[in-house]
Amino acid sequence: MMNTTAAANRRPLIQVKDLKKHFPITRGLFNQTVGTVRAVDGIDLEVYEGETLGIVGESGCGKSTTGQMLLGLLPPSEGSVIFEGKDLTSLSKEELRLRRKDLQVIFQDPYSSLNPRMTIEQLVGEPLKIYGLKKGKALRDEVVRLLRVVGLDEHHLKRHPHEFSGGQRQRIGIARALALNPKVLICDEPVSALDVSIQAQILNLLKKLQREFNLTYVFIAHGLPAVRHISDRIAVMYLGKVVEITDRDSLFESPTHPYTEALLSAIPVADPTKRRTHKPLEGDLPNPSNPPSGCRFHTRCPYAQERCVKEEPSLVEYKPGHHAACHYPLGM
Amino acid sequence: MSTSLLNVEDLKVRFKTEDGIVPSVNGVTFHVDKGETVAIVGESGCGKSITSLSILDLIPSPGEIHHGRIDFNGTDLQAIKKKQLRKLRGNEISMIFQEPMTSLNPVFTIGNQISESIRLHQRLGKKKALMKSIEMLDRVGIPDAEAVVRRFPHQLSGGMRQRVMIAMALACNPKLLIADEPTTALDVTIQAQILELIKQLKTDFDTGVILITHDLGVVAEVADRVVVMYAGEVVEEAPVEELFANPKHPYTLGLLSSVPKAEHVVDELGTIEGNVPNPADMPEGCKFHPRCPFATDKCRNEHPELEQFDSNHKKRCFYDVEKGGVA
Repeated sequence: MMNTTAAANRRPLIQVKDLKKHFPITRGLFNQTVGTVRAVDGIDLEVYEGETLGIVGESGCGKSTTGQMLLGLLPPSEGSVIFEGKDLTSLSKEELRLRRKDLQVIFQDPYSSLNPRMTIEQLVGEPLKIYGLKKGKALRDEVVRLLRVVGLDEHHLKRHPHEFSGGQRQRIGIARALALNPKVLICDEPVSALDVSIQAQILNLLKKLQREFNLTYVFIAHGLPAVRHISDRIAVMYLGKVVEITDRDSLFESPTHPYTEALLSAIPVADPTKRRTHKPLEGDLPNPSNPPSGCRFHTRCPYAQERCVKEEPSLVEYKPGHHAACHYPLGM
Repeated sequence: MSTSLLNVEDLKVRFKTEDGIVPSVNGVTFHVDKGETVAIVGESGCGKSITSLSILDLIPSPGEIHHGRIDFNGTDLQAIKKKQLRKLRGNEISMIFQEPMTSLNPVFTIGNQISESIRLHQRLGKKKALMKSIEMLDRVGIPDAEAVVRRFPHQLSGGMRQRVMIAMALACNPKLLIADEPTTALDVTIQAQILELIKQLKTDFDTGVILITHDLGVVAEVADRVVVMYAGEVVEEAPVEELFANPKHPYTLGLLSSVPKAEHVVDELGTIEGNVPNPADMPEGCKFHPRCPFATDKCRNEHPELEQFDSNHKKRCFYDVEKGGVA
């Protein structure tokens, strides 16, 4: 499906080059900087038109920070985000505001991302009003159209967010994101806060909308099965770095990076006949303000060797379209 | 039935609110044997957490058990005095909560908190209790346990805190462990570590476990038997292999088909249309009928009973999945 079409017109819509975000750690009365958290530490990514790029990783790996930089909501410390040939980091505030029409976001928590005092009509119409695109009856008609697109309808117009369930609120969030007819939707954990039966409804809706409006998705999540379900390509992040990036089937069937392998083996399989004994990853995520030397994964990697401690591996294309940052990639 | 560790019979819990009486759990019956892991599965608001809290008589204030019987190891937990129940809590029955940050006390050290229950229930001295705490932390796979007992909760990561909770819960070798969404707040790699630990308990201590979760992957991984709850009722119960191979209730069917699989990709996920009903405004007849693709007039008017149709499989539904029709 999307795989082939995305491959046919390999036109990167978004290009991320050596993107970094370092947060200073401050202490004491005069807020002296005592260290830096390297939340994102030099990543390169391409997002092609019409595809879904999944970004997975554990909490603290920098996936959400990456998403915010793609949206221009967070200025990067270094590097660039090129969207349709323009570097978002070099734009003025006003230029960025206009660009953002094409880059919209769906947040994780549908409870805190909608203003409780606004009606659904106001919420969904707000982006159109801000950009001065529609008003009066035209605005209202457009809001109704958007609500229908996400499976709600006009009798929801005058209600407030608290009258809706989590799944419905997420639909409202999606309608709001679609209001400006964007090219790219950044979905930051859009289903993690929802019940399983509702997750499926939202995932199906996102797929349907992508087909209808030729949307490009960046789907950030920690739930691997959901990411596999929706993505064409998947990037795996660990401690602020992309460690592997490839199409979804190669990632799940022949992971090259030991961290990807560990992540996959940790997913509980919803089939009791396939119960296996995990080799769980030892230890916890290292502190991102003081990442390990060499390969950042070496402290937890079952295959680590001397070289991994000293030398940082770069992201290498081992097979066409399959990149991994590992000195001793699996199955090579 | 006398061999089971825990017997819950026709448990009913209701909340008295300003808007009237809201039923939360409506006649739940299940049992847990020694060394058995029973998973209670369901979506938010189905009453799974309230069921587990009522075992320890920990239901939050406007709630009350107004019907049913809970037998633990031959004692009726509702008939005994508060003092006796306190002797069981944290000793023979322990609980792990979902959020390891809020369930640990931030102003006491880890060692202090684990020792508390050991000193209380096993009447050990301070030093011995601390030694035991270190031993427990070691057992749950915390490296450098002797240093960790002196730390405070905020100095530990989420996975470590959850392991501390488990160490605390296991300190007195409980016969029954109630784990309420023990891994929901954790990353997959840490989740795998915790699930391994729970599996080990069964073999090492013959502990009975009630695992409350909404994650069917976790269920398939660790449970022996599964109780599926919907809107305050048990709708299906079966051994784990049987439930995944032959789900009989349309709700279970829906849940299973709505889970994205890591092994293969389907074009479209199965869904359960609509939303979980509001407990204050339950539908007539079968509570699942507004969302059920097979619902008939009978389902809309009559309330199905939980029927045992096989030696180990129960369901609350008129519909016959195999024959395709309402009995």
